[in-house]
Amino acid sequence: MKKTPSIISLSNVSKEYVMGDESIFSALSEVNLEIHKGEYSAIVGPSGSGKSTLMHIIGLLDKPTRGKVIINGHNTARLDDDQTSKVRNQFVGFVFQQFNLLNKLTIKENVLLPVAYSRDKLDFDPEKRALGLLDKFGILSKKDSYPNKISGGQQQRVAIARALIMNPQLILADEPTGNLDTKTGNEILKLFEDLNKEGITVLLVTHEPDIAARTNRQIKVLDGKIVEKYND
Amino acid sequence: MTNLMVIKQLYMAAFADFRRDKVRTGLTSLGITIGVLSVVLLIALGLGLKNYISQQFENMGANLIMIMPGTGFSGEDMGRGMITGGGVKFDEKDVKSLQKIEALKYVVPIFMTSTNISSSEKEKMGTIMAVNEEVFPLLNIKMQIGEPWGKTELNKKSKVAVIGYTKAEELFENINSAVGKSITIEGMRFKVVGVGKKTGDPDQDGSVFIPYSTSYGSINPDKTFWGIYLGVTNKDDVATVTEQANEILLKRYDKDKFSVTEQSEILSTVDQIFGIINIVLIAIGSISLLVGGIGIMNIMYATVTERTREVGIRRAIGATKRDILLQFLSESTLLSVFGGLVGLLLATGIVLLVRVWFPVALNMVAVVVAIGVSSAIGIFFGVSPAKKAANLSPIDAIRYE
Repeated sequence: MKKTPSIISLSNVSKEYVMGDESIFSALSEVNLEIHKGEYSAIVGPSGSGKSTLMHIIGLLDKPTRGKVIINGHNTARLDDDQTSKVRNQFVGFVFQQFNLLNKLTIKENVLLPVAYSRDKLDFDPEKRALGLLDKFGILSKKDSYPNKISGGQQQRVAIARALIMNPQLILADEPTGNLDTKTGNEILKLFEDLNKEGITVLLVTHEPDIAARTNRQIKVLDGKIVEKYND
Repeated sequence: MTNLMVIKQLYMAAFADFRRDKVRTGLTSLGITIGVLSVVLLIALGLGLKNYISQQFENMGANLIMIMPGTGFSGEDMGRGMITGGGVKFDEKDVKSLQKIEALKYVVPIFMTSTNISSSEKEKMGTIMAVNEEVFPLLNIKMQIGEPWGKTELNKKSKVAVIGYTKAEELFENINSAVGKSITIEGMRFKVVGVGKKTGDPDQDGSVFIPYSTSYGSINPDKTFWGIYLGVTNKDDVATVTEQANEILLKRYDKDKFSVTEQSEILSTVDQIFGIINIVLIAIGSISLLVGGIGIMNIMYATVTERTREVGIRRAIGATKRDILLQFLSESTLLSVFGGLVGLLLATGIVLLVRVWFPVALNMVAVVVAIGVSSAIGIFFGVSPAKKAANLSPIDAIRYE
């Protein structure tokens, strides 16, 4: 695989939690990882392996106990809340297993929600872009419905549209098919594959080897360590 | 997107939330509604009382200077002279020397006593005011029927009387036939020459005015006066006349044995008293505002817990801590201001209704207090729950079930 510049690089990243009895639980230890522009990869491992923690650290939802997270060459350790929020807003797009849409907002409002938190002038018309994405995913007719009125597969498409609205460099998807039946799950995976072909970097987190196998690179996590990296 | 648009969006979202949960919104705001309602009504009541008292003073005629025994209306000794009858008693000599003041238009000596008054029909207790004829223009006493007695009657020590409206109603079946009839005071028969118009001032309406010269017999054997009222035509003369009156009286009496008080001084004392009453009323009303605020805080805490996951989602897609803080603050403020406006509306309705009987008044202070205080409460009691929401860890929040 041709090497492109890395957009994210983790060096010696460890994450430890202090447990109730004051013992220390190590969720990640000494992880080194680079994600390159245009990649379609999967972080794979059994539950409790630390893959979700790894994803949260990559997406700046969580901070490592030790080690550096470098995004586009910038160390993120020194960023304050406003700046990390801005990275989450503009650099990454999250897709969750639970879809995590806001039930009191319409489909269109859900897709547009990240725009509300952007402080910068946008180089696109958000409304037009939102409707374009919904159209592309075949759910334009649902734009004024509420999330609890549409199917799981449709909700996940809305979530993906929301993740894409700010034109992020990276899509982070945590078990995106976990709550869907196989057929719908396949459709969602197909969607990610199409997006990747358009040049969007996609990082899936999954515990299913079958799903991981569809990506170009599998990062296997076990007991807080990366044990294998295929096609690296 | 600008900050302004973000804020607008937050308020729109809050509004949509409230519409979805009308019962909770209503109940939460109710505390503030009742709080604002009571504060505004209490202010209106305080103002009404003040207006009522001021009106009574104005009816007594402007540019009035009162000479009384004791230290008079102001100072810590306030009113003691009036109540105990301590201090000096004035006499005709004082009246004569005061009449020398040039700018003075009226000098009215007053002897006051409470005694039985009887007509051919009834007998009643009443206040006798033994005065001179200048009392009628000075205190602005107009006649309902008949004419006031004049200087001639005073000089001739005529047994004539002008009766206040209420007193006339008490003494005679038909006040229109009162003029020309006679009343008996302390064994003396007085001819009723006039009945005063109703003023609304119970003191004036309930008194009988007779010439002070006539009272010198059995009613006022000491030939003294309780007080002397002075009147000037020009308001600008009030200060100099007060000063001159003081000088004249100091020649005969000690400084703390009498007082010369302008009506404006009394008004300012009344203002002070009602200022204090108002503060006390507002303080009482504020307790309900406080309780309302705590209600809002309670609901906001519940809302934050209920919406933990939402906070996590918003944080994941780029909301800053400040965005979350603002979101919850705008909700608590909206709840509170909504409650406040409803309270203000209700209060306005009640004030307009009560106005028919009593001069209650709404003023800008009440409106500002209603809106200002309710938004302040929303912010004050919303800060702590909103901070809790803003400081949630995005990870924990998004995993919250």
